[in-house]
Amino acid sequence: MPLKLNQSEFVVERDLNKCISCEVCVRQCSNDAHEYDADDKTVLSEASKCVGCHRCESLCPTEAITIRKKAAEFKDNSNWQQAHIKNIYKQAETGGVLLTGMGSDKPHTVYWDHILFNAAQVTNPSIDPLREPMEIKTFIGAKPEKLEIEKNDSGFKLKSKLGPHLELSTPILFSAMSYGSISLNACKSLASAAYSFGTFYNTGEGGMHKDLQHFAKNTIVQVASGRFGVNRQYLRSAAAVEIKIGQGAKPGIGGHLPGEKVTADISSTRMIPEGSDAISPAPHHDIYSIEDLAQLIYAIKEATDYLKPVGVKVSAVHNIAPIASGIVRAGADFVAIDGFRGGTGAAPQAIRDNVGIPIELALAAVDTRLREEGIRHKAAIIIAGSIRSSSDIIKAIALGADAVYIGTAALIALGCHLCQKCYTGKCNWGIATQDPYLTKRLNPSIGTKRLSGLLRAWSHEIKEMLGGAGINAIESLRGNREHLRGINLSEIELSILGIKHAGQAW
Amino acid sequence: MKAFSASGSAKGMNIKMVKNKNILNTDYLIIGNSAAGLSAAENIRKNDKNSPITVLTKEKYSNYSKPLTTYYLAGRLEPGNLYFKKSNFYEENNIDLKTNQNVVSIKSSDNLAITEQGNQYLYNKLLIASGGRPIIPEIRVIDKTGKTLSLDEAMSSVKGIFTLTTLDDAIMIRKYINEYSIKTASILGGGLIGLKAAEALLGLHLNINIVELSDKLLSASFDETASGILIEAIKKSGSSIYCGQTIEEIYTENNSINSFKLSNGRKIPSDLLILAVGVLPDTGYLKNSGIKTDAGIITDSRMKTSIDNIYAAGDIVKSHDVLSGSDKNMAIWPIAVKQGEVAGSNMSGIDTAYPGGFLMNSVEILGMPMISLGQSSIEYDDKNKDLKVYKSHDTDRKIYRKIVVRQNRAVGAILIGAIERAGIYWGLINNNVDVSEIGENIVKEDFGLIQLPADYRKHLVVGEGIEV
Amino acid sequence: MKKIFIDEQYCIGCRLCEIYCQVKHSKSKKILKAFREDQPGTLARVLVEEIGSNSFAIQCRHCEDAPCTGACISGAMAKNENTGVVICDEEKCVGCWSCIMVCPYGVIKRDIKSKKVASKCDLCFDEEEPVCVKNCPNEALKIKEI
Ligand SMILES: Cc1cc2nc3c(=O)[nH]c(=O)nc-3n(C[C@H](O)[C@H](O)[C@H](O)COP(=O)(O)OP(=O)(O)OC[C@H]3O[C@@H](n4cnc5c(N)ncnc54)[C@H](O)[C@@H]3O)c2cc1C
Ligand code: SF4
Ligand code: SF4
Repeated sequence: MPLKLNQSEFVVERDLNKCISCEVCVRQCSNDAHEYDADDKTVLSEASKCVGCHRCESLCPTEAITIRKKAAEFKDNSNWQQAHIKNIYKQAETGGVLLTGMGSDKPHTVYWDHILFNAAQVTNPSIDPLREPMEIKTFIGAKPEKLEIEKNDSGFKLKSKLGPHLELSTPILFSAMSYGSISLNACKSLASAAYSFGTFYNTGEGGMHKDLQHFAKNTIVQVASGRFGVNRQYLRSAAAVEIKIGQGAKPGIGGHLPGEKVTADISSTRMIPEGSDAISPAPHHDIYSIEDLAQLIYAIKEATDYLKPVGVKVSAVHNIAPIASGIVRAGADFVAIDGFRGGTGAAPQAIRDNVGIPIELALAAVDTRLREEGIRHKAAIIIAGSIRSSSDIIKAIALGADAVYIGTAALIALGCHLCQKCYTGKCNWGIATQDPYLTKRLNPSIGTKRLSGLLRAWSHEIKEMLGGAGINAIESLRGNREHLRGINLSEIELSILGIKHAGQAW
Repeated sequence: MKAFSASGSAKGMNIKMVKNKNILNTDYLIIGNSAAGLSAAENIRKNDKNSPITVLTKEKYSNYSKPLTTYYLAGRLEPGNLYFKKSNFYEENNIDLKTNQNVVSIKSSDNLAITEQGNQYLYNKLLIASGGRPIIPEIRVIDKTGKTLSLDEAMSSVKGIFTLTTLDDAIMIRKYINEYSIKTASILGGGLIGLKAAEALLGLHLNINIVELSDKLLSASFDETASGILIEAIKKSGSSIYCGQTIEEIYTENNSINSFKLSNGRKIPSDLLILAVGVLPDTGYLKNSGIKTDAGIITDSRMKTSIDNIYAAGDIVKSHDVLSGSDKNMAIWPIAVKQGEVAGSNMSGIDTAYPGGFLMNSVEILGMPMISLGQSSIEYDDKNKDLKVYKSHDTDRKIYRKIVVRQNRAVGAILIGAIERAGIYWGLINNNVDVSEIGENIVKEDFGLIQLPADYRKHLVVGEGIEV
Repeated sequence: MKKIFIDEQYCIGCRLCEIYCQVKHSKSKKILKAFREDQPGTLARVLVEEIGSNSFAIQCRHCEDAPCTGACISGAMAKNENTGVVICDEEKCVGCWSCIMVCPYGVIKRDIKSKKVASKCDLCFDEEEPVCVKNCPNEALKIKEI
C-alpha cells in the first residue's frame, strides 16, 4: 500500500563522526532496520523498521547510535489521542485485531505508587539486618487451624500435621512463562536462578522441556486449558501444580501458538504434533463451576499422592473476592492472582488495556474476604501483575500476599527493553523468540547470574525495609496493613485497600 | 654473518680432546646444522639435559635458513638476518657447534665420523641430517674454439653458471650480478627453487628466461590452470618462459656463459644461468658406512637407519609419503623439521613415530600468493576414476582454488590468491577426514571450520577449547 | 597455560571480538582512530565464522605441537616455552606464508598493509585478559587455565 498513514515510532540517530561501519548493528537487528551500503562503505538505517528494542544501541562499540522516540506529529487532542488515531490507521489497513505484548502501558492508577510504608521511631527500635537475624523465608501452602506442639524426651516437636507446601528463601517466584512464548534459554535462566536461589519458577502451559527436568524440584508446573505436556510424570516430578484459569493481561481469552512455531522441540515438550497449532481454549472445557474446579484439584492431588501443593491461577476481575473464596473452598493450597497490568507474550490490545482490575485492589479485596470467612489460612496468596521493585513487594506482603510472582521484571533483568513486540517472535534479546539466530543471544549462564542478582538485591532491600519498620520476620508483616498509608487516594480506594491515609495514626 | 669458529665450543662442554689423535668424544653427534639437525638437537636437549651434543657443518656459517637465501638474493634480507635460530640458541641449549667440518666418511663399526679437516668424532648416537645436493644435468658446454666440457666439469671453471642451494651460492650470484651488471638471467628448472630464484631476480629488475622441461611450471604440484596463471603473470612482467624445453648446449666466451641452445634449436643469449632442476640426497660420503641407502637414506618409522645407533632426518632421507603410501624424496623444510624432532626424541629415549608427510609449497610470485598441498596436480581421468576434483576460478580477481578428493578424503589442494585458510585443508589431508558431507562447499572461498563435520571439529580441538 | 575456550552455542556473530582485537593491535589503541585514521591499518586476529544461526569466533589455539612453528622458514613463528604462547616475530617474518599453509584452524592472516607479515593472535600477552574474551557480550569466549 503506497499510502502510509502511520509514521515511524522512532528516530535512529547515527553519529557519523563515531560510526566505524563495523556492522554490529546490522547483524544484531532482526527487524533489518540497519543496512550496510558496500558502495559508500556506510551503514544506513530505516527508522520505520525500528521497534525501539535498543539492541543496536546497547552493542554499538562507539556509542554512535541513539534511538529516540519520534515527537508527536498530530495536533493535540485529548479525546482523539495519538494511539487511537494510529490504531485506526493500522486496523483500517490490516482489518485485523491489534496484537501486543507485555503488560498494559495505559496510565491507570498504579496503587503501589500511592501507598507508603512505615518505619520505626523511638517507641519501637528499628533493626539492622546486617547485624541481626532477619527472616524472609516464605511458605506456600495451606496452614493448619492451629499449631500443636508436644514435648518429649528430646525436646519440643510439632504435633500438628502440615499439608504440602513450598519453602522459598525469599517471597519471590518467577511467574508462568511457557517454553514457546519465551525461548528455552530464557526458561533455563529462570529455572537455574530459581534453583540456585532457593525459589521456584513456573513452566506456564508449555510443558517441561527435557533439559529442565533436573530443575523439577524448583518447578511449579501448570495445567492450563490446552493441557499441553500434562501427564502423570509431569505432575509428579514438579514441586507444585498450578491450574491456570486466567491471565491478567487477557482475562477470558485463550492462547494460540501458531503451527509454524511448534518446532520439533516444542512439539515434544507440549506433546502435540509438530507444526500443529497449539490452541488453549478460553475456558477449561471440564470446568464450569467451583465444583468442577474442585474435581480437577482433587484429581491432581490424587495423581500426586497429596504430596504437592495444588494452586489455581486466576486473573483479577471484578468478582475476584468471591471467586478466590470459591477456589480456596475447592481445596486449592494457593491462589495466584494476576492483575490487570500483568504481562503476556501476545494479547489483543483491546483486552489487555481494558479488562480486569489492578492487582492491589484485588489483593486487598481477596485477603479481606478470606479473613472474614475465616479461611485465609487455608491457602496462600501469590500475586502477580507488574511487580516492579522490592517496595512493591513489601507493600504487597503488608496488603496480605504471601509471595509475589515476577514475570516482566525477570525478563527485564534478562535484557528485555519492553518494546512490546513479543508476539512477532523477533525478540532481539533472545527472550520472546524461537529463532535460533536470536535465542543464542541469551546465554543462560549470564541470565542466571542476572536473575540471581535481582533476587539478591530485592531480598536485601526487603530486609532493609523490614528492619527499618522494626520487624525481623516477614511473617510478622503479612497482612499487617497498619504499616501502610495511602496518599492521594479517595475514601473508597482507601477502604478497599483497607488502609488509612497518610497522616492518620494508629 | 657471525661465523662460529670450530674452537668456539660452548662453555661447560666436556668434550675431551684425545691427545695427538684429534678424536673428539661426544654423546650425540649431528651432521648438519640446518632444519633437521637443529630441531633434533633442540629436542634431544629437552629430554636429556646434560649429555654433550655436537653439531657439525661443512659450511663456515652458524645456522641460516636455506629458503631465506633467495630473500637475500632479492636484496630483501642481509646475511646477518638469515638465521632461523638465534645466535644464543647453541649456548642456551648447550650445543657444541663445529663449523667447517666436512664429514667425508663414517666408520659405523667404530662409532666414528671423520672430517676432511682431519678430525674424528666419536659418538654414542649419530644423526645424519646433511641434506641434499643440487642435480647437475648433462649439458655440453662449448667455448668459441669448440672445446667441449661436461657441465659438471664446467661448474668450477666457467663463470656465470650457478646452482642455488647454499648461502655461498646466493652470495656468489649476487656478487656476479653486481660485478658484471647482469641484465638478463636464465633459470633452468621451473620448480620451487627455480621460481623462488625467479621471484628474487624479478625483484632485482632483471630480465628472466625460465626453461622448464615439463609443459607446466611447478609441475609436481600445479595443474594446467594454476601453471597458466603463473605463466601469464611472469610473462606480463616481461620475462620469457620456455616450457617443454631443456638446454642442450651452453656456449661460453672468455670463460663465461654467453648463451645457450634449447632443445627446439632456439639460441638464447644469457649472462647468467642458475641450475635449479632439483636436489638429491647427498649420500656419497656414506658409501662404506654400512648405512642402507636407495636414493636417500632408508629409515624406519623412528627415523633410525639400518644401523642401530644411527638416525637420519631431512632432505637426505627417503621419506614416507602418506598419500601415495610409498617412500620418496621430499625435500621440504617442514618435513625436515618434523623428522628432526622425531629423530631427536627417539635418540634421547622418548619413543616417537614419524607419521609420514606429503609435499607442499607456499610461494608468492609477483604479489600472487600460491599454496599447493599433497596430490594437487592430478585430474579426474581414466587412471583416476575415484577422484572428485572441485575447482573454482575467478579470472578477474586471479583466484584459483582446486581441491582433490579421493574416496571421500581430501588428498590435494591448490590455492592461488585467496590462501588464508589453506591450513584447514592441510588438517583435513593430514587427519584423513571424511569430507563427503561437505560436497562442493569445500572449494568455496568462504570455506571454513564451520562446514566441517562437527565431530572432526571437536576432534580437532579436544582439549584445545571449542565446545561444539 | 591459559587458553581461550570457544562456546559456539552462545556466539551471536556480533563480531565485537574482531573489532576489539583490531583496536588492540592498532597503533593508537583507540577505536575511532584505529578504524578511521591509523595507517597502516590492522587486521583482526580473531575470526568469526558464520553460517545461518551457527557461528563461532576462532583464534590461534596455541597448539601444544604447533605445526606453524615447524613450517616457519625464518624462525619468526615460535612458541614461548614459558608461557606457551605462539607468537610471530613480525620483524623476522618474511611473509612466505608457510605457516598459513599448515595452520589447521586457518587463523593466520596475511597482513600486507605495510611489510608483509603473518598476523595472528598473541593471546594479548600484555593484557590481563585477551580483549576478545573481555569484550564478548555473551561469554561465548572464555579464558581458562589448563
Ligand atoms: C633456495 C632454496 C629455497 C627453498 N625454499 C623452500 C621453501 O620455501 N619451503 C620449503 O619447505 N623448503 C624450501 N627449501 C628446501 C629446504 O631448504 C630444505 O628442505 C631444508 O633445508 C632441508 O633441511 P635439512 O636439515 O634436511 O638439510 P639442509 O638444509 O640441506 O642442511 C644440510 C646441513 O648439513 C650440512 N652438511 C651437508 N653435508 C655435510 C657434510 N658432509 N659434513 C658436514 N656437514 C654437512 C650443511 O652444511 C647444512 O648445515 C628450499 C631450498 C633451497 C635451496
Ligand atoms: S564477540 Fe562473542 S558473541 Fe560476538 S562474534 Fe565474537 S565470540 Fe561471538
Ligand atoms: S609467513 Fe612469517 S611466520 Fe609465517 S612461516 Fe613465513 S616467515 Fe614464518
